[in-house]
Amino acid sequence: MADPSVKVLLADGHSLFREAMRVVLEAQEDLSVVAEASDGMQALAEARVNEPDVALIDLQLPNSDGLRTTASLADSQPSCRTLVLSDDDDEELLVLALEAGASGFISKSSPIHELLSATRRVHSGETVVPPQMLGGLLGRLISRRRERDHALRLLARLTSREREVLASLARGADNAGIARALVISPETARTHVQNVLHKLELHSRLEAAAFVMQSDLLDELEEARV
Amino acid sequence: MTVSVGERRPLRNPKVLLRQEGEQGIAIDPDTESVHVMNATAVAIWVLCDGRTVPSEMVTAICDLSKLPWDVVEEDVQSILRQFEETSLITWEDST
Repeated sequence: MADPSVKVLLADGHSLFREAMRVVLEAQEDLSVVAEASDGMQALAEARVNEPDVALIDLQLPNSDGLRTTASLADSQPSCRTLVLSDDDDEELLVLALEAGASGFISKSSPIHELLSATRRVHSGETVVPPQMLGGLLGRLISRRRERDHALRLLARLTSREREVLASLARGADNAGIARALVISPETARTHVQNVLHKLELHSRLEAAAFVMQSDLLDELEEARV
Repeated sequence: MTVSVGERRPLRNPKVLLRQEGEQGIAIDPDTESVHVMNATAVAIWVLCDGRTVPSEMVTAICDLSKLPWDVVEEDVQSILRQFEETSLITWEDST
């Protein structure tokens, strides 16, 4: 018969913390620690071998930090859900963790029953956010969506050719590079660049590249090319 | 989704004080000497009642985060805002 318990990977740079966590987790009938890791690379290796259901990842992991480890885990082990453990209630870190693919975020100063509850909730498919950080997080999500909606409205001003030029600018191409890629003359490329900057109300190529990256529009531009 | 033109924007009663107690929030209205206990979602919505954010933006953000269906979240948000309004915790700003 298959083991019904939730398989947990524990990744933290401090062995004392890991050992304490293992004792607490192993005392739960429905949770079992299948692997431990003291750094990010080891966490990824252990996850490949042991296929945990939930990974508890410290943000301050040595050797590939917690965010990078979370992102790599999301890529390599999509069935494993990650609960990030943080020293601070930092909204920016919370947003970055969720963007990296974490399913939950909890402060290391939380009571142990909250950690156990969060582990179970993450495993059951919930997104776990500290209640006191929820309003701020939603506010940030709303701000980002407003910025993206604004960027998309500006982008709608561009012709399909100008969108191709903008994508090239975002990848760092100069006029000659744009001309080669789009099989046009450098003078035509220069005119397109000026039109793009004017329509987007920007002043430089650097601003144009930042506009694309900050609004996460490169995929949008690439899709338009297909 | 985009913001509906003309959608009204809830604004917190500035006299109301909010104290966070674990997963709950306690809102104290000194004018009416009343106390209101809020769950985590209600606290988050209260924080978003800044006079600039429309309810549909709140619903979208919660859906993005929770992956819950739009209609379920919309009903919850509307219900919470209605309770806020009935207890004078918010007023409504018209869109300009």
